[in-house]
Amino acid sequence: MDSMIQIKHITKEFKVLNRREGLKGSLKDLFSRDYKIVRAVDDISMDIAPGEMVGYLGPNGAGKSTTIKMMTGVLEPTSGEILVNGQVPYRNRTRNAQEIGVVFGQRSQLWWALPLIESFKLLRDIYQIPQKQYDQMMGLYSDLVDLEPLLHKPVRQMSLGQRTLSDILAAFLHNPKVVFLDEPTIGLDVSMKNKIRGLIHALNQEKHTTVILTTHDMGDVDALCQRIVIIDHGKMLYDNDIAHLQKFFGCYRTLKLRLKEAAPEDACKRIQTELAQAFPDPATPSVSVQEEWVNIVIDEDKLSMMDVLNTVQHLHPIEDIKLEELSTEQIIRKIYEEGVQ
Amino acid sequence: MKLRRYFSMTRAGMLEQLQFRLGSLVTVAGNLIYLVLIYFLWKAIFASAGTDEVNGMTFSDTLIYLVLASALFSFMEMYLVWYMGNDIQSGKIVLDLIKPIGYRKFLFWTQSGSLVMSFLMTFLPTFLVVYFLTDGVIHLGVNLLFFMVSVVFALTINFCIDFFIGTVCLYTQSIWGINIMKEVIVLLLSGATIPLAFFPDTLRRIVSYLPFQSIYNTPLTILIRNSMPLQETLTMLAVQLFWACVMLLLTSLFWRRSIRKITVNGG
Repeated sequence: MDSMIQIKHITKEFKVLNRREGLKGSLKDLFSRDYKIVRAVDDISMDIAPGEMVGYLGPNGAGKSTTIKMMTGVLEPTSGEILVNGQVPYRNRTRNAQEIGVVFGQRSQLWWALPLIESFKLLRDIYQIPQKQYDQMMGLYSDLVDLEPLLHKPVRQMSLGQRTLSDILAAFLHNPKVVFLDEPTIGLDVSMKNKIRGLIHALNQEKHTTVILTTHDMGDVDALCQRIVIIDHGKMLYDNDIAHLQKFFGCYRTLKLRLKEAAPEDACKRIQTELAQAFPDPATPSVSVQEEWVNIVIDEDKLSMMDVLNTVQHLHPIEDIKLEELSTEQIIRKIYEEGVQ
Repeated sequence: MKLRRYFSMTRAGMLEQLQFRLGSLVTVAGNLIYLVLIYFLWKAIFASAGTDEVNGMTFSDTLIYLVLASALFSFMEMYLVWYMGNDIQSGKIVLDLIKPIGYRKFLFWTQSGSLVMSFLMTFLPTFLVVYFLTDGVIHLGVNLLFFMVSVVFALTINFCIDFFIGTVCLYTQSIWGINIMKEVIVLLLSGATIPLAFFPDTLRRIVSYLPFQSIYNTPLTILIRNSMPLQETLTMLAVQLFWACVMLLLTSLFWRRSIRKITVNGG
């Protein structure tokens, strides 16, 4: 199968003026040629198949937006190759634009003062969408969302959720091959987030549109994406299935115990030494205290949860017990904070 | 199909203008105040000169010229530099760049709606009032046709100058100062605030080599001056056409170079 987006070793460097402090420094800056090179994206490669939905993750300032801008043709990579739908995006921006749709959660491409329907009609003419296709799309939209009350409302009077929803509909209107969604659920309430996710999922299924989704909300990723790509400091950290992420990072689960009698701090120390005896390195689980709970983090590749529980149970009376899975969010946080070992 | 695309954008611009009724009214009121001001200013100038004619223009000539100039100004002014500056500073430009239309074209056509509106709401009424008040001073004939053509050229040149200055914002990231400078230069050298006849000879010669006079002086002269020889009209239009082409080419080159530089080095 041909890939929809092909990125080969792209790098993007920015020239940034070294700013000095204070009034005097600012005056000097006026004549300064003292630039430093900042590498925002560093040797990233990926291959995205048609119809795929990919979560593109990374902490703030990781280089996500820069990559997206390169894929939309707004920025030109310093080195490396990009092909979107078989075309080099920056070389023919307007032609590439016909095949892509973009939603920036923080901005709107809709005509602010006009009712939504006017924006849709305008986009129909700008993208030269055949009337039949436009009608079909509007039909699909009214099946998916409660469109009628939105259509005649000026965009500036919409709530953020309604506006985002409308922006997503606008981005899909010309049936693009690829849609880039940059933080589409930012600032939305739980129910609206759910609605938006449902909409994105349905559109992806219905139109087989390739979707690149950047977000900080792991709920989006869990709900929508099979595959995730994680970058930080412009470098690729991870590119694989979400299911793989658990394995990739180790199958950690946390056993939480509340003990009778003993203070958690003392118990923690004792359990740590006892477990070290029972399960010698490297399988030794780490033990910590969180309020009245003693947390034991267990790597299930190396030892079984039941063995640990048995061991502890023999030595201490247990009052209460909880088991915690490592969520996608926690794994991602660990990756952001510690990088990949 | 192509045309429909552009007219659709014009239409949206008109609708947008209509949403802001109060804004339009305030603009009209502001214009009236300006007109009262120039009336008294030039009355004083002619009074102090002591003759009916100054530099070949009578008081009513001057006033007709300036009133129409101000009407033409409210018609042609698109506040494009502000728009572009805002676009660039806020980063919204990204959304405009990923439209399947070139940025300059996109800007022109999205702004064109306000042109139509201000033509209907400011220029046309002002012109009619002046026409009926002065009772026959303005000739209606073939000059009207030439005037239309001339306005199209003027509009092109004005748009290009704005677009050029807007492009500079890509480098400077700030627009205020540079836009004020542009406004002053254009309004003065184009003959929008003072008729060119009042300029000293040297300055007038310099101005004749610049594109600015094509924006206000040329269309107004064609419209107002009675029985202008055809030869002269055509020469003026040719000069306008020349400048329009030069400006279109220049802005196109400058924009392409700048946007490349920005996309390569980052903005």
